Parts: sequence; C-alpha cells; structure tokens
Amino acid sequence: MTIDEAQTLPQVLAARARQTPHSVCERHKRLGIWREFTWSEVQENVRALALGLHSLGTRRGDIVMVVGENEPQHYWTEFAAHALGAAVVSVYPDQSADEIAYLVEDSGARIVVAQDQEQVDKVLGVAQRTPGMKAIVYWDGSGLWSYRDPLLRSFEAVQQVGRQVHAEDPGLYERELGAGRCLDMAVLSYTSGTTGKPKAVVLTQQYLFDNAARITGALDLKPGCEYLTYIAPAWGSEQFFGIALGLIAPMVVNFPEGPEQVLANLRELAVEAMLFSPRQWESLASLVQARMSDVGRIRRGIYDWGIDVGHRVNVGRLEGRKASLGARLMYPLADALVLKPLRDKLGLVRTRIALCGGSAMAPQGFRLFHAMGVKLRNTYGTTETGVLTLHHGEQYDLETVGRWVKCDPKYALPLEWQVSSEGELLVKGGSGFKGYWRKPDQTAAALDGGWYRTGDAVGTSERGELVFLDRIKDLRRLRIGSGFPPQFIETRLRFSPFIKDLVTLGDEKRDYVAALINIDMEVVGRWAEERNIGFSTFTDLSQRPEVLALIRNEISRISALLPENSRIRRFANLPKELDPDEGELTRTRKLRRSLIEERYADLIAALYRGEKNISFSVPVTYQDGRKGTLSAVVSIADVDDAADTASIAGAQSARLAFVG
Amino acid sequence: MTVSLAARGVTLRFGGVIALDEVTIEVRANELLAIIGANGAGKTSLLNVLSGFHRPQFGQVELNGESTRSLRVDQIAARGVARTFQGTHLLTGLTVVENILVGRHVHMKSNILQAFCYFPWTAREEIEQRCIAEEIIQFLEMEPIRNEPVGTLGYGLRKRVDLGRALAQEPRILLMDEPMAGMNAEEKEDLARFILDVREARRTPVVLVEHDMGVVMDLVDRVVVLDFGRVIADGTPPEVQRNPDVIRAYLGQTQ
Repeated sequence: MTIDEAQTLPQVLAARARQTPHSVCERHKRLGIWREFTWSEVQENVRALALGLHSLGTRRGDIVMVVGENEPQHYWTEFAAHALGAAVVSVYPDQSADEIAYLVEDSGARIVVAQDQEQVDKVLGVAQRTPGMKAIVYWDGSGLWSYRDPLLRSFEAVQQVGRQVHAEDPGLYERELGAGRCLDMAVLSYTSGTTGKPKAVVLTQQYLFDNAARITGALDLKPGCEYLTYIAPAWGSEQFFGIALGLIAPMVVNFPEGPEQVLANLRELAVEAMLFSPRQWESLASLVQARMSDVGRIRRGIYDWGIDVGHRVNVGRLEGRKASLGARLMYPLADALVLKPLRDKLGLVRTRIALCGGSAMAPQGFRLFHAMGVKLRNTYGTTETGVLTLHHGEQYDLETVGRWVKCDPKYALPLEWQVSSEGELLVKGGSGFKGYWRKPDQTAAALDGGWYRTGDAVGTSERGELVFLDRIKDLRRLRIGSGFPPQFIETRLRFSPFIKDLVTLGDEKRDYVAALINIDMEVVGRWAEERNIGFSTFTDLSQRPEVLALIRNEISRISALLPENSRIRRFANLPKELDPDEGELTRTRKLRRSLIEERYADLIAALYRGEKNISFSVPVTYQDGRKGTLSAVVSIADVDDAADTASIAGAQSARLAFVG
Repeated sequence: MTVSLAARGVTLRFGGVIALDEVTIEVRANELLAIIGANGAGKTSLLNVLSGFHRPQFGQVELNGESTRSLRVDQIAARGVARTFQGTHLLTGLTVVENILVGRHVHMKSNILQAFCYFPWTAREEIEQRCIAEEIIQFLEMEPIRNEPVGTLGYGLRKRVDLGRALAQEPRILLMDEPMAGMNAEEKEDLARFILDVREARRTPVVLVEHDMGVVMDLVDRVVVLDFGRVIADGTPPEVQRNPDVIRAYLGQTQ
C-alpha cells in the first residue's frame, strides 16, 4: 500500500517506514540529549505495542485512553490503537482523578496508557471502580517500583509480548492494519464543557486526513520540516497537526523534555513549524517585554528603535502600507542588532510557519511578533468541523482569523458556510460532523438542517476574511432583535492609542449601538499640538471637531469588521475622564456600566434622540474632597455621516463653567 | 539481616566535653534509620564519626564488617559512604550538573593532565559520567534547572542538588544531616519522597539525622534516640514514641 492509498494513519506510517526507513521521524530530549527515532524504529515500536495491546484484548471499535505529556509513547499509543481499529481518548495530564473517572465512564475506555506515577495514581483509583478494566500501561516507571496492582504493566513489557506475538504470527499486524478504513473512528475529542459535562466529538481517520490536507493546502509546509509539539493531543488541533500532519506532510516531530523546558528546548531546536495557543504566544511576548524592562536606558533605546523599524517595515507590508525609505534602509541594521537576536533568543530564527489557534489573541501581541519578523498567523475552527479559516499568503489582516481553507476533494466535500439571522456561523461540508459520542440529543441540538451551529458570532472584513466576534451567548441584543459584541468592540477600540476607555451602549430598549468615549489626553494632546490645534483643558480638547473626526476614523476602522447592525452609529466624547474616585471605574479600571449609564443618563438620552449637542452637567469630586459640578456643551457625532463634520466644526466649542 | 555500617562503643571527646559516650548503633542493609535527639545530643558528631571525619578516642566504626580506623576520609568515601550536609556545601558558581559531576569524582580515572589534553578515552569517560549525572537529574526531577548556577537556586532545590551529588557517588550507604531543616512543608514532602525513592529504587540504606519528629516518624523503619551523647532508645517509631526516657528527654521531666 502506498501513502496515497493509505486510509489510516498507521498505514501511512507503514508506507513511510518502507520508503524512507532511516530518515528521522521523531526527536525526544531525554537525559539531556536529543534522541532520534527513524521511521522504521517508530514503526517497530508501534507494531510491538499494537500487538501487545491486541493480546491484552484490544479489538476493533474499542477505546484506548492515553494520559500524559507530549512524549513519543503518547503518539505511538495512538498509532497502535488506530492500527487495531481502536479509537483514542487523550487526556490532559493535569486533569483530576474525578474528571478522568467521568471520561473513562463516558468513553467506555477499558485500557489506559498513562505516563508516570502521577497519572497511574489517578487512574488506579478509577480503574478499581470500573468493571471490565483490562490494563493500565505506564511508560515511565519511576516511583512505581513497589506498585503491585495486577492491572499494571510497563510499556516495555507490553511491547515485549507484542514482539513475541509478531514472532509467532508475523502476518497478524499486517492483517489488522490492512482492515483499517477511512471511516474508522479514530479519536474521541472531548470539548471543554462550558455548559454541563464535557462531550466527545467523534473524529474519523478521514477527518484527520481532511484537516491535514486543509492545512497543507493553505500553507507552504515543506516535507521534512521541523515541528515542536507542545499543545496537548487532547485538543483536536494537535490531532491533525502534530499527529496526522507529522505523518502525512511528513514533519520531524520534536518532543520537549518537559512542559517547563519548552522555551529552552525551542531555542535548541529552532523549529520551522509550531502551533501555540494565544496564552503561549503571549507568554513568549511578555518574556521579551519583562526582560527588556529590566535593562538600562541605552539598551532599552536600541530595542525600542529596532522594534519600531521592524514594526514600520514588517507590519506595514502586512497591512499593505509601504514603509518609508528611511525605515527600509534602516531595516537590515535593525534586523542585525535587534530583531534577529530576539528571534534567536526565542528560538524562532528558522520559524516559517507560526500558528496561533484556540481562542482570540489581541492583535497587539501579533504585531510584536510580526515586527520581530515572525509571520504569526491566526487560525479558526472547531473540533466538530475542523480548521475553517487561516491567515493565507503574505498579506492578511491581523484583526481577522483569515480566509477560508479549501478541502481536498479526495477526502471531503467543499466547505459551505452561512451566517444565520442571529449572526451565528453555520458550517456544512468537509469530512462532516459525525456527532457526539453516545449523545444523540446533543448532536441533534448542534445541527440545524444539516448545518453545524458553531455558536460563534462572526463578521466578514472587506477583503473577505472571517472576523470572530464573540460567542453568540455573550452578545448583547438590540430592540430590533440583532445582537452585537460589546467585548469585541471595546477591546479593539481600546487598542487605539487615542482612546483610553469607552462604554458601548445599546440594549433591548435601543435600536442601534452607540458609545461614550474617554479620549487619551496625553496622546490626543500631543496629536493636537503637532497639528497646531489649540486647546485648554480635557473638556475643551475632547470636544474639538478635529478630535471628534479623529475618533470617528478610529471607530469606522473597527466598524468595517462588523456586521451592519453591530456598528457604532453615534458617539460622544466624554467631557471628563472616567474616574475611579467617582466610582465610574473600579480600582483595576474595569467599567461600572450601570453607574456610568446613570450619571450620564441625560447625555445618553440626547444621543439616542439624535441631537447634535447637549448642554450637560455632571457632579465631580475634586482631589481635596470638595464637590462641584462640571458643565459643558457636549457634541454628539454620527459615525457614517461625513457631512456632519462640518456642522460640528461650526458648532460652538465647549464652554466651561464651574459652579462651586 | 546484614549490617552495612556500625559504630561499636564509640566515645568521642572534645577536650572535656564528651560528645559521644560509648555509642553503639547498627545500620542494616536497605534500612531507613533516623538518629534523633535534642540540640547537642551528639547527632552530627555521630554522623561525622560514621563518615570518618572525626576519629573517636575509643571504639570503632565498621563498614561491611571491616574497621575503618586505618582509612582516610576519601578512602571511606571511595568505599561507598556518602553524606549530605547540614546547610549545603555546594559549589555555588557551578551549575547543577557540574556539582553532580563533582560527586562522580571518586569514579573517575583521568588525571588533570589527561583532562587537559582531552584524549579520546578521556572524552569517552566524560560522556559516561555525564550520562550517569543525567540519570540522577532525571531521578530527582531537576531537568529544568540542569544548567542553572547553584547560587541562583532556592534552599529547597539546593538540598536536592546536595542529595544528587551524594547519590552521584553511587553510595552503598547514605548519611543525611538534617536534610529537612529550613524547608517548607511542600519541600519536605518532596524530599521525603526522594528519600523513599532512593531506598526503593537504589536499595541504599539511609541514615537520617533529623530534628523534625513528624517527618521522621512517618518515614523511617527504625529510630535511634541520642541524649547527651548516649543512646537512650532504639526501636520502631511507635516503640520509641512510647519510651518514657524519650518522652522525658524531649518533653522534660514529669513529676
């Protein structure tokens, strides 16, 4: 059987072991040294384990559970189970004994392969309560010297039995392997249950092949490239990235020494492909920022300069702006002094494919990596439907999750998608959603006439890239029935240097979204000075027509990413800063919505009445404790109506009157 | 059961102070033995006598039935007696792995000239020693700090490095002087687990001089209690806890 004919992952493995038996397939750091495994070694290990599991009673359709970190044995177990036609449940190593008990019961796993003493301890208690448990196999025996449970077996011992079986019946493995078909159940991937208990998505071999093809179709993944596995196989993404793509692309899969050594290992390897979650990328970014905040002024200055040049050239190119000649001339120097050493320190010097998936990451973090010269890409998908969108090519929008991937017709139907009237993304096609394991009612609830309901609110950017807004259930509803994502709007707008804070308005009593903006006095003040715009106080500055136009621009930029009904229609700049002393913010600068809405009720009412400006006063507390009232004429601006700028410009500028 | 290490009728004086007064103890093969006692009871002195650091005026120390009187400290170490120190006597400028390699010194054959020339056989030896050091690092779960200078580590980790260095000697008996002193509860638990692992995985008898009664009673097979240089009790933890002499020595005289 050739690789093209292979229908299951272990069939691909067998074909690779025949074709390139001596090429490196996996690398694992053990006892301080990177130890390499060739294709034929992995094939031999998988075969021995598969036959060992077979003699323990694993048969087609059974479930095998794996609990442990990303180590070669974790992957071999998965391939071995697949070779026997069994499906795998991967469990996060930090899950508790109770959670494991639920997963064993729900999945029906009767063989558990666990990493070490810590995992064995958790599994043993569960196993003793589970009738029909066949075996617990561990691959790291330290600390287990005195364990005498009859269920326990070491990985090597099981493999040894497998080798004997192979010697007695050399055709058994081939027969089992050959019976594998693309519709075999391969993985039960448990989704984190935000509501209720976790449920398992049934993933088939076809699903793994389909998703691997979606990625190779979208990215320039060179065969033999080096990949670092860090995200857990319990998460669907690693199933088709490290596990499936590792064989199919193929990639050299590198296993770190342990979760705490990932950063050090990353630097030693300088891998070419990696998929991290936003939290992991952010921790890399904050590592850089923390280190740089400790250095002296000169080094800090060089760093800031280098990042700035990188930002102007790299992020500029990404966003379709051409960097100034000066920046482009400086770039090689900035790269040599700052950017390349940074990439080197982080182990990203050879990285060609850097992916971020799992949840939304702030575009700012993205920009830092791009400034450094690492082309970090967003991906979006769900376990049920697989990977859906990805940042393609050289130009993409960091605010989006990228363009739709294409399915290889060999494995799957083309992906179809639509946005429901509630703004929810519905998906059909691909290798198809095969339902939740033993939960037909929940499967039915997730489907709507053949369409899978993602539960995600999305929009589309002008360039046709998908924008992830929020979970549907976190949207706020307007009177007209449609929802809008307050979190999305507020986080994005707060990234604008000119906006310090804002409150989005709009609920079941309002027809559209509006906003109160707290400008950033320092940045806007500097901006105004550069343009010779005179101003006296915060109140004055905030109501300048030029500043209103500036803020309007910022809002329009975000609006382009949002569906029509979710866009901010009108806004006003607050005449004073939101202040924790007056209870408008908490001490950690979180908004106190209801209090703000009460204090600015007149302004909000005028905003929704469609007035252009309102004379408005709000009680204030001075720092010495005296109370007073701030009165000002506040302008209210429409976002869409460009003609409005003129009328604001003509309007009376804000007047101040303090009543003691 | 065979006796690995024994002190027989050992008396140690410093001028007029009698630190140990005809002390006899036996450490059996594969045993976890604790020596406890109040401050100044002679616990550390006994450990120093066992490791050959102090010479007793009377009595003798036997290692596997052979008297150590004629041996130098380094010769005793070479015969498999390893110890950890109260506080840590590590080389703070060197990394964890280098400190552990120091413990491998007794097993190395190359001299300084050979090391300087770095002959192929010297290189081979270094690789072998490094492999053994790495196994100890794995055993004590110190992979993340392998290349950190010891001076930058916290106290709990330093104690672990100290244990690692002692294990690097491949001891036939391990003496530990107040390993838990100054540790927090979690560090104590970690170290207790490692001590049990040493006994289980390496079948090395361990002698523990310890202040912390709670840890000792949960951990060891047998307890020897010293009071003013004399052995006042010798038995399993429950036996020792019931012993009136021990109660008196620890809690004061009851009327």
